[in-house]
Amino acid sequence: MMNGYRAYLPILPVAATYALLLGIGVVSPDHWQLIAQLAFYCALGQAFNLFMGMTGYVDFGYVAFLGIGTYGMAVSIYTLSDKGLGIGVVLIGLVLAAIFSLGLSLAVGAVALRLRGAYFAIATIGVNEGFRYLLEGARIWNGADGIIFSRHLRQGVGRQTAMALSTWWADILVFGVAFLAAVLTLVYMRNKVGYALLALREDEDAAKVMGINVTRYKIIAFITSAILAGLLGASAWALKLTYVYPSDVFAIHYTVEAIIIVLLGGAGTLLGPIFGALTYGAAKYFLAIVLPGFQLLIFAPVIIAIIVLFPDGTVGLLKKRLRDTPLGKFII
Amino acid sequence: MIFEQLSGNLLQGVILGGVYGMATMGLSLIFGVLKVVNVGHGAFIMVGAYVALTLFQTFGVAPPLAVPAAMVIGMALGMVFYYSAIRKLLKGPELASLLATFSCGVILEEVCKQLFTSEARGYNWELGKLDLGFTVLPHAKLLAFGGSALIGILLYLWFHKTRAGMAMRCVVESDEGARVCGIDVDWEYALSFSIGIGLTVVSGVLLTMFIPVGINPYMGGSYTLKAFVIAVLGGLASPYGAFFGGLVFGLIENGSYTLFAQIPGLEPFAMTRFFSFAMLLVILLLRPTGLLKAK
Amino acid sequence: MKTNRLSIGLLILTALLCGFPSLLPAAALKRIVIGHPEALSGQYAKAGEQAIGGIQAAVEWVNTVHGGVRIEGRQIPLDYKFYDCESRKESVTSLLERLITSDKVHFTMAPYSSGLTLAGAPVTEKYGMIYLNHGGASDKIFEQGFEYIVQTIGPGSQYHAGTLEMIRHLDPKAKRLALAYEDSEFARSVMDGAEAKAKQLGFQIVFKRTYPQAVADLTPLLSDLKASNPEIVLGGGHFQDGQLLNKQLADLKINVKLLSLIAAATLPAFGNALGPLAEGVMGPSHWEYGVTFSPEAAQKNELPWIGPEQDEFVNLFKKATGQELIPDYHAAEAAAAVLALVAAVEKAGSVDSDLVRKAFGELEFMSFYGTWKIDATGKQVGHDMVDVQWQQGERKIVWPLATKTADVVYPKPRFK
Repeated sequence: MMNGYRAYLPILPVAATYALLLGIGVVSPDHWQLIAQLAFYCALGQAFNLFMGMTGYVDFGYVAFLGIGTYGMAVSIYTLSDKGLGIGVVLIGLVLAAIFSLGLSLAVGAVALRLRGAYFAIATIGVNEGFRYLLEGARIWNGADGIIFSRHLRQGVGRQTAMALSTWWADILVFGVAFLAAVLTLVYMRNKVGYALLALREDEDAAKVMGINVTRYKIIAFITSAILAGLLGASAWALKLTYVYPSDVFAIHYTVEAIIIVLLGGAGTLLGPIFGALTYGAAKYFLAIVLPGFQLLIFAPVIIAIIVLFPDGTVGLLKKRLRDTPLGKFII
Repeated sequence: MIFEQLSGNLLQGVILGGVYGMATMGLSLIFGVLKVVNVGHGAFIMVGAYVALTLFQTFGVAPPLAVPAAMVIGMALGMVFYYSAIRKLLKGPELASLLATFSCGVILEEVCKQLFTSEARGYNWELGKLDLGFTVLPHAKLLAFGGSALIGILLYLWFHKTRAGMAMRCVVESDEGARVCGIDVDWEYALSFSIGIGLTVVSGVLLTMFIPVGINPYMGGSYTLKAFVIAVLGGLASPYGAFFGGLVFGLIENGSYTLFAQIPGLEPFAMTRFFSFAMLLVILLLRPTGLLKAK
Repeated sequence: MKTNRLSIGLLILTALLCGFPSLLPAAALKRIVIGHPEALSGQYAKAGEQAIGGIQAAVEWVNTVHGGVRIEGRQIPLDYKFYDCESRKESVTSLLERLITSDKVHFTMAPYSSGLTLAGAPVTEKYGMIYLNHGGASDKIFEQGFEYIVQTIGPGSQYHAGTLEMIRHLDPKAKRLALAYEDSEFARSVMDGAEAKAKQLGFQIVFKRTYPQAVADLTPLLSDLKASNPEIVLGGGHFQDGQLLNKQLADLKINVKLLSLIAAATLPAFGNALGPLAEGVMGPSHWEYGVTFSPEAAQKNELPWIGPEQDEFVNLFKKATGQELIPDYHAAEAAAAVLALVAAVEKAGSVDSDLVRKAFGELEFMSFYGTWKIDATGKQVGHDMVDVQWQQGERKIVWPLATKTADVVYPKPRFK
């Protein structure tokens, strides 16, 4: 077991990567939106990995937390923009996003976390779909009409500020979420939560028998991961795009992207999701440019090949190789 | 008035539910034997729909006669995907097989998009209708229901009366035990995966007899989600449980519409979906073995 | 000292780099480029493919027949660059920015659908780029205060205005109207518009219900609808759900005098899929092959005519897509957006966004797509829709009377 600052050295490559990305974005503002998209994938992967990577539980309905976070921000801006709070609506939006995703994760946790394996995966899909249709069926938050709040944001904070919020600050927030997720992942890994969850991932029943309060740690990781997703939705989807439709934000397909990112890099590693996000995001972007319309046809077989050939993901593999070298202490 | 409508809906629900049940058997079979959730399930239903459409439009083959072709195509697809991907992931984490089956679905969708474009297609095969007064049942729908039930019975017989079927049941009970008894477990895995996919593609054919329009490469998604609910109702690992799960699902979906429609301010159709997913959670919590089996 | 000289050098260099293009605006302009993150895969792929074909046809016309965009006596070729946004909101922003900053396009086009159009708006507004909306019909886009969005597709609330007027014209006694439609922002805005218009014309709304997106069976909704005993059914939302609605109405033998479906019924795929069941079904369309807009009609209305005539457009479209395909309205409205842009640029005599936007505001013209005019918010107000009806396996224009290609069949044939 490592102690002191050495245990937290692996945060350096993470910080360096994000700093580099930010740097590129600042120096070459032409590519800012691309950088922002990559940051979104990094944050998505990191936040998803925090629970999935540590526990091995696949939350297929993970996107529900992004969705409800998006609504948190949307509701705040939509209803409070004329109250003269200025930039305060954004802060309230972030708080609401956190509260909403916390609430939903508690509800889901109480139900689905009792289940394991495929049953858990299916239950979480059920939560995501069920929640979406509850919004549409009961016309909560305008139902399927969604909330379009571009005008409200502009009225609340002014045209220039609104533009800066959507095209710059929203992305900075995404970076913040990504970094926060990385820090929390490392802190959990180095503390009781991580050890307990490692035991759980290896053998849940054995961990229980040994007197580890598995459920408690599972819920801690689950809630943390959910709140990060809520904040991510609030910034990357609400603040940036200034509208929300339920069919757009409760789309399972984003969970699949999170899974791809985590698997590419290596589940349960710290650097893996970043590597996965950068590879996936960049590949997707350039395929959209070079071969418009054929991205998925190319992606799907490649992904299958990667899972079959590198089941540990790239960083997982690297971690094994570098375990006893001087570089090893940076890579987890 | 409401009761007439309700009984009409329930009857329609049973008929549709039977076909849904059939469309879920493959999912349950694969999960039962391999413990793999086929997240790309709907894409195989879509393939079946295109098989029926193409055979009918180019060769004039009546849709029920497309069933054998669909079974063969499905089993071949199953074998290809099993040996190229699924086989190597059985021992790995859940994540890997979930993503792999999802990717198989995406491959099928994109290939079909290249072959058939993303246009919504359909065919017209009129057989007449049975008018019951309170509702109308086209003969094609009844035929689809009969076909589904027949396939369900055949599957049951195969599992209980043939050696091959019993061997597969052994594998469901215990891999190790089956291996000890001299059963080639790997082959059983391959076989059940390919039969599961075959059944799913066949169900796509039957579904077009129910709804012969709107056939497009991305039509599978909503069937995947429905199949999850139905599979859970039937106990997830039991193919004929899935059939009865389908019947129950059809009844609930159609029946609850009429009830939700009485409450002002709701969109009843969306509420039926909410209801079915809420039901999924309740059953997973209270009776994870499904509605049929006792704990 | 050294640093001083360096910084002065840098300053001069920057000044040159920044100042140079603005000193010689038109002379440096070799091509005018339109950038477009369109949906080529995912749920809007069909509409996206059509739109790209339409745009390419229009660009081809501008370059070969029109001889390029005419600014200050020069004729500048028009270029078109598109990427695939996969029908996904987060791809729209990064691709748009790439088009604006790396590819240095002069104008941008929005992807199909209201949602994706909205997703890109913050980026184009930031860069002050004209953002041509060819497929986002939601009225709400224009309530947001965006300054550079210019719409060519008509707003959703107007879709059924003509249909209802036609029914009044044919059958003053028809009263019982049912609305059964997809639960989406677009379909809702269409049906709310229809409801308001219907009430104004004295119809009675006997049924108004939605169904969720990606629906596979409509039986419970339709038996509910049947019980309300409507004479007219308006509905739909997308492509496959419209086919399903029609098929299941036939299955349940629900016979009405008129059935009109948005989106689905105006596409060739509808008739192919449903065969005889499509007979007599109608749909409101932004444009239909066979409309009779011509340079002569433009002259009569004292409007300038721009662009190819209808058959010329269809040929260009076939050439662009490489398929024996009659374009549908998604292609036509996207092409019309390009024609409007060319007209506005020529009017402004510049590619400067603000000047062009101002020119758009003053623009009114006719093309094969019909008349074109926007209000102060950028919303399309000049374009009138037509109503088509399936007759003997073909779509015929039946309303308005001035552009009709066949008489309407009313009431529609019964389902057997």
